[in-house]
Amino acid sequence: MNDRIKALYQSHILVNAKDTSHQGKLEDATHVLEAYNPMCGDQYTVSLKIVDDVIEKATFDGFGCAISKASTAVLTKQIEGKTLVEIKPFIELFHELVNELSDQSPESLTSDEDLLAFAAAREFPERKVCATLSWEELLLSLRGSMMK
Amino acid sequence: MFNPETIKQQFPIFKQKTPLGQDLVYLDNAATCQKPLAVIDRITDFYAKEYGTVGRSSYWPATETTKNYNEVRGKVQRLLNAAHEDEIVFTSGTTDAINKVANSFLRPRLNAGDVVIISEMEHHANLIPWQQICTEKGALLKVIPILDSGELDYEALESLLTNKVKLLAVTGVSNALGIKNDLLRIIKAAKGFEVPVFIDAAQSVAHSEIDVVALHCDFLVFSGHKIYGPTGVGVLFGKRERLREMAPLSYGGGIVKEVTIEAASFQQSPNKHEAGTPNIAGVIGLGAAVDFINEIGYAEISAHTKAITGYALEQLKAMEGIQVIGDVDDRAPVISFVMEGVHAHDLSTFLNEKGICIRAGHHCAQPLMHRLNLMATARISFAIYNTKADIDALIIALKETQAFLS
Ligand SMILES: Cc1ncc(COP(=O)(O)O)c(C=O)c1O
Repeated sequence: MNDRIKALYQSHILVNAKDTSHQGKLEDATHVLEAYNPMCGDQYTVSLKIVDDVIEKATFDGFGCAISKASTAVLTKQIEGKTLVEIKPFIELFHELVNELSDQSPESLTSDEDLLAFAAAREFPERKVCATLSWEELLLSLRGSMMK
Repeated sequence: MFNPETIKQQFPIFKQKTPLGQDLVYLDNAATCQKPLAVIDRITDFYAKEYGTVGRSSYWPATETTKNYNEVRGKVQRLLNAAHEDEIVFTSGTTDAINKVANSFLRPRLNAGDVVIISEMEHHANLIPWQQICTEKGALLKVIPILDSGELDYEALESLLTNKVKLLAVTGVSNALGIKNDLLRIIKAAKGFEVPVFIDAAQSVAHSEIDVVALHCDFLVFSGHKIYGPTGVGVLFGKRERLREMAPLSYGGGIVKEVTIEAASFQQSPNKHEAGTPNIAGVIGLGAAVDFINEIGYAEISAHTKAITGYALEQLKAMEGIQVIGDVDDRAPVISFVMEGVHAHDLSTFLNEKGICIRAGHHCAQPLMHRLNLMATARISFAIYNTKADIDALIIALKETQAFLS
């Protein structure tokens, strides 16, 4: 097993992929997003409870590879408590983190280890879509109706 | 004596290392095969030494090109044991051929309330073209279901057949599971109701001998790139009377007798069905691929891929936490499996680090995956150059991945 791949799947990602603390559907969801990658079939339903422009609760449900699952788990964990205004730069930061063309080092972007783990995806551009699947969907929703 | 190692040496890609410096273990042959030097050289020579157009140009090199192009038609005719050379039409691939038959053969013959039969295991290419025309015409698309073993439910087929059925389209081999279908049985049943039969042979021609006369199918299609030939070229076999009664597959130059502003009259097939400048280099390369197959011979090819498939199955079944999908005695060189606790995409990323290419996902067969309650499988598929050493490398890597991920 080489270091590159170990880094990609380092314990943070494997642990988050198995973390069920934010799995499930919210009874009182105000917004439900469907993140789907038709190329591979990965599919997550992200439930959000947004009150006064603050994400109070976020959970997910669905199926996919370890990377998409871990990234969805991290997303739902980390957006809780954030305002809609804060979310957009946060997602942009995550995109920068996994962007293999970025000129910013991952460590200069964040010190959060759960997020930093995904920087290994820079070595695997074909897996970037897995890492950003749910994040992308949330960004699209923010640009669409959610902000209005 | 047949030796897969010497065969492998005929494929230049295996002389290189992967970007990580390993030997390439290529196990995605159901998607596309690597190319032997003979095919690559033939295409290079064509462009470098004899390139011209096909048709009625009366100068060299076009005369040479036309002769070579049409010789390939004869080679494909013999490969499929078709009765006539004019039953072979070149297309850009399997998908293209299916769409063309759907448009040109099915569409004008299909009315509201008619039925088209496909199977539950079809590749999307042999599903969506028929589905769309059925929707457009208010016709019904009916499905031969599969059993839990993965095999077609042949008894169910018999209950689907009526004289409302205008076409039965089925694959020879499931690209997702490697299940082989009993085409003789299907076609015999269909012929009882005079139903035209369309065979998707994309997964068949690389490893098994095809005889369209013995099969009695009306159409049979395949792609060049899955039989060691180039991309962008494929074959439509159609029975002579079918191709003659059909309107041109597409319209343009090279297919006409006489044209006025108001009307056009057309040549006979196969010319009628090959409008425009075709993929000449593709066809020439396909000819070299057919020669390559013939030089080894189907007996050796089938025996070898069968032995490799058997060896791989044995090794996989001996592993803990691996479930092979589809329970059949005799399968094509395609195996789908799932590893407990490990998603197929993660598996394929891990194997790629070892220079091992496998396919992960739904294999363009979503209805089949739904039926089997699977979101994704890992698929390995073999060609003439695969060796036992390839399988051994795979199994070692699978075990390492399992230890790390699950
Ligand atoms: C059974 C089957 N049908 C159709 C196709 C489509 O072939 P192509 O992409 O060459 O048109 C494939 C290839 O993936 C296949 O396996």
